[in-house]
Amino acid sequence: MAENILVIGGGPAGLNAATMLSELGVKVTLAERDSFLGGNPKKFKYKFLFPDMQPADDVIGKLIKKAETNSNIKVYLSSEVSDFKENGKKFDATIKSPDGNETKTFDSVIVATGFEHFDPARDAKYSYQLFDDVIDIKDLERMMGEGNFVRPSNGQPPKNVAFILCVGSRDRHVGNQYCSRVCCTVSVKQAIELREHFPDCEVYIFYMDIRTYGFFEDLYWKAMEEYDVQIVKGRVAEITSGENNTVICKGEDTLLRGPFEIPFDMVVLASGMEGGPQSSEMAKKLGLELDEHGFLKPQNVTLAPFKSNKEGVFLAGACTGPKAISDSITEGGAAAMDAYIYAVKNH
Amino acid sequence: MALENQEKRPVAEKGEHIIARHLIEDDRIEEEKNLVIDGVDVSGRWNTFILSRVDSDFDRSFFREIKDTVVGSRINRCWQCGMCTASCTVTPLYRRFNPRAFIYMMQLGNLKELKKYVDVAWRCVGCYKCSQRCPKQVNPAEMMEALALLIKKYFPEEVESKLKVDENVKKIYEDMILGHGRLDLAKLHISSMQKMGRTKELIGKIEIDAIFKMVKDGRAFSVLRLSRPHNWRKSKEAMENYLKNIKTIEQTTI
Ligand SMILES: Cc1cc2nc3c(=O)[nH]c(=O)nc-3n(C[C@H](O)[C@H](O)[C@H](O)COP(=O)(O)OP(=O)(O)OC[C@H]3O[C@@H](n4cnc5c(N)ncnc54)[C@H](O)[C@@H]3O)c2cc1C
Ligand code: SF4
Ligand code: SF4
Ligand code: SF4
Repeated sequence: MAENILVIGGGPAGLNAATMLSELGVKVTLAERDSFLGGNPKKFKYKFLFPDMQPADDVIGKLIKKAETNSNIKVYLSSEVSDFKENGKKFDATIKSPDGNETKTFDSVIVATGFEHFDPARDAKYSYQLFDDVIDIKDLERMMGEGNFVRPSNGQPPKNVAFILCVGSRDRHVGNQYCSRVCCTVSVKQAIELREHFPDCEVYIFYMDIRTYGFFEDLYWKAMEEYDVQIVKGRVAEITSGENNTVICKGEDTLLRGPFEIPFDMVVLASGMEGGPQSSEMAKKLGLELDEHGFLKPQNVTLAPFKSNKEGVFLAGACTGPKAISDSITEGGAAAMDAYIYAVKNH
Repeated sequence: MALENQEKRPVAEKGEHIIARHLIEDDRIEEEKNLVIDGVDVSGRWNTFILSRVDSDFDRSFFREIKDTVVGSRINRCWQCGMCTASCTVTPLYRRFNPRAFIYMMQLGNLKELKKYVDVAWRCVGCYKCSQRCPKQVNPAEMMEALALLIKKYFPEEVESKLKVDENVKKIYEDMILGHGRLDLAKLHISSMQKMGRTKELIGKIEIDAIFKMVKDGRAFSVLRLSRPHNWRKSKEAMENYLKNIKTIEQTTI
């Protein structure tokens, strides 16, 4: 009889793990909380992905299709793992779905529950949800995905837009010390898209550092050199309302050592990634460890990044920390291999 | 010395009633001789105003203007790493000459800030060390040229008052180049020392020792025997032509 493996979470990481296992002949149970597969990229309708502006549908759509059409994968949507017990070297898990509860025994488990977007409303200085024209990168991603680039307040094209980096990241005040890794790249990507759409709209990025690591750097250079996106050094400390339906960013230009209060038509907050409530939920339910940042903690970040502290339970994707889709997909594959080895050994 | 004199701030009488006056820059203080507000005469010490230091605008038209020039076309590339300033020949002498900062002010169209540097902004000596080091190939040396052009255009009064060309030095310089095709550093040195009334220092112990050494190892003669550059006549003609047309050229480049 074939091995049984449970994959929790149907984002890029979970989808790739499930597909690869199914190709090895494993019977995969894929439990997804939402009513659709695809994770955050699908939920927020990402349209074009960094680093190379591939249509998200080509990537995420393909992953979903592979998982949905594979007879070895049983997908449970709008579902959760309601009960989880160790059973020798195996695991008994109950999947609660709209169709009822189902309890099965699994040889191993992959947790790929991903991340949550930091909610900028938690940091009052940015006046998110107070002013219509203050949005964040996930909102803009969704707006662009729907072909809508205009100002939320009046439906007009913006004349100038400011991106503010590190919202909800690298800030003790909000409790997140880490860098969310993708928000710089997402911001320069969106800056390019805005400039492409509205060539007359000036785009500024307020930054402390620009961390478009590795080859993502290309996009940053492109934003400046081909699209005249202007970077301004300094974090914005306050957003207030200005004349003519503008929002004013107040900050310090640390290169010129002077305060500024600049009115913008639209402000985009580069809110970061958080482990979200699902990480602590998984930790509690499955007996996993959380790290000091609120993500699931690998057994050894360097040597065994896909292994959890619990034998037989493996981790993949953004549930262990901020990362890009390619990393999440890679980790899905790697965790699949680890989970498969464990399952075969103990089957 | 001359350098230091230039860096010294003028003694301010403006805003003398302000407590902690030293915290406020001169150009941030406004005082009117006679001022009447809503029918009330507020002349005298009551009409001292401190202007806000807050920048409230980025002016990209300035950026576009620079970007459209040949020398400034790469302004959008600069990410403010400071390699240019770090390698600059002039910055160690004039801390206020900072190519990195000038480029930033140009990017943001911060004319208010640029104006403060009219006296030093043109001091680039064209050594191109910055351009050789710049990781983004901004070509900051030429950006300084763009800056000099714009300063002339935007702050003609400051240029007029702060950048007086010393006609004597100009004459020496031109004669030297046109006559010999080369700068004679010794001659420049002598004439500038003469101008400063420091002729005595020209024949100090160090100088005499140096002259001895150079005579001994033959360098002194090779310096004297320096010929004009190859094909000098053509270059000379071109330069004379340029000088003749300089007025028109300046007008067309701006
Ligand atoms: C605004 C923004 C734009 C981005 N753009 C790009 C880009 O262009 N290119 C790129 O490479 N990366 C991008 N990223 C990063 C990318 O979103 C992540 O790398 C990727 O989504 C991580 O995949 P994942 O499968 O680990 O997690 P997720 O995408 O978060 O998927 C996790 C899935 O698990 C489900 N889940 C959660 N909890 C439970 C539970 N308890 N039970 C069952 N299911 C659960 C969720 O519903 C979700 O479907 C972007 C990130 C942000 C914030
Ligand atoms: S990726 Fe950029 S914006 Fe995001 S936390 Fe890191 S430095 Fe800040
Ligand atoms: S001009 Fe070049 S070297 Fe100078 S700050 Fe800009 S990028 Fe750096
Ligand atoms: S070319 Fe000008 S700005 Fe560049 S290093 Fe030389 S003196 Fe400085």
